[in-house]
Amino acid sequence: MSSLPQLIEEDIQRLQAILRDLNDKCEADTALIIDKGGFLITQHGKVKEFDLTTISALASGAYLANQTIANLVHEENFESVYQQGEKTSMFVLNIDEHCLLVMIFPADISVGAVKYFSLACRGGIADQMLLAKERNPKCGLDLSLLNLADTSKVFKSDLHSSSSN
Amino acid sequence: MAIINQATKELQVKIVYYGPAMGGKTTNLVQVHDHVQTAAGNKGKLVSLATSSDRTLFFDFLPIEVMSIKGFKTKFQLYTVPGQVIYNTTRQLVLRGVDGIVFVADSQYEKMAENVESFNNLEENLKSLRLNLADIPYVLQYNKQDLPNAAPVEYLEFLLNNREIQVPSFSSTAHKCEGVFESLNMITRMLLNKFIAQSQATSQQSAHPQHA
Repeated sequence: MSSLPQLIEEDIQRLQAILRDLNDKCEADTALIIDKGGFLITQHGKVKEFDLTTISALASGAYLANQTIANLVHEENFESVYQQGEKTSMFVLNIDEHCLLVMIFPADISVGAVKYFSLACRGGIADQMLLAKERNPKCGLDLSLLNLADTSKVFKSDLHSSSSN
Repeated sequence: MAIINQATKELQVKIVYYGPAMGGKTTNLVQVHDHVQTAAGNKGKLVSLATSSDRTLFFDFLPIEVMSIKGFKTKFQLYTVPGQVIYNTTRQLVLRGVDGIVFVADSQYEKMAENVESFNNLEENLKSLRLNLADIPYVLQYNKQDLPNAAPVEYLEFLLNNREIQVPSFSSTAHKCEGVFESLNMITRMLLNKFIAQSQATSQQSAHPQHA
């Protein structure tokens, strides 16, 4: 049985340090590391300004959709998506099999610089994610802390509903 | 696959609503969005990538944070897939990283072939992602049970739940929110149970590596 990927404080600190450095170098607003399944892993920058949960879900969907299109036109070297805006632009870069880097930056910033510095930090992010994945699962959180006694009401409705079969 | 972030004490889980076109997948998410009771700020916006006629084009997305146990938050991300046959590629994309599935079947007699086709399509798409339905928690929801041409639950059970291991199933009238929360709570329970079992198994393997 495979273990769940667990990110500890050290992982997040190192990833955020990479994102902070990246934001400083290319003057971006916000940098995100997301899972290709749509999860937000960590972020740095103007994190209150945007709905990062939704952006993560949509950015991963957009990247995967574009990757599929690239495959359909026989483009084998696909690894990034650039969305050019009038005020704000976005650049999404493939990190590894599971992760993406999302950069949100003012439209007047050079995308070339964003792409250059993003590519330069890709290895560091990938290495840290690999470290987290391969870490001894014993040092992870014990999920038995989750009390399952009352999961029937995890999601509570304000309406009366029917019963199961 | 779910992600555990110990720095922020979060568990993120992805649940996908799958099923034939016009079966009620989006209605499930709308009802959850409209009626779920959460603390302020814990329910995200329902995002729909749909056509002008409200048919799902890519996916619907609803993030909800519902639990905080011993300071540990669980963030659920609910997705639907487009049911129309032509959008199979997008269904495969949405399934990526799935933890649990709610299969929403249309109970009307004339939709039975579509139900079976969609269920088979689910298995095929999971295989394309190197996943096996037997390894992924899922529940069946028999929607539109209020319609006069709805097949009885026993018939739907025979059609869709006639396997070696039967999964939980629910009668549903999604537009009245009947059966919606029951399905969601059950898949949640199954998922958390699976995660705990995985956590315990990996802990034991670490403690006794010679038996791994």
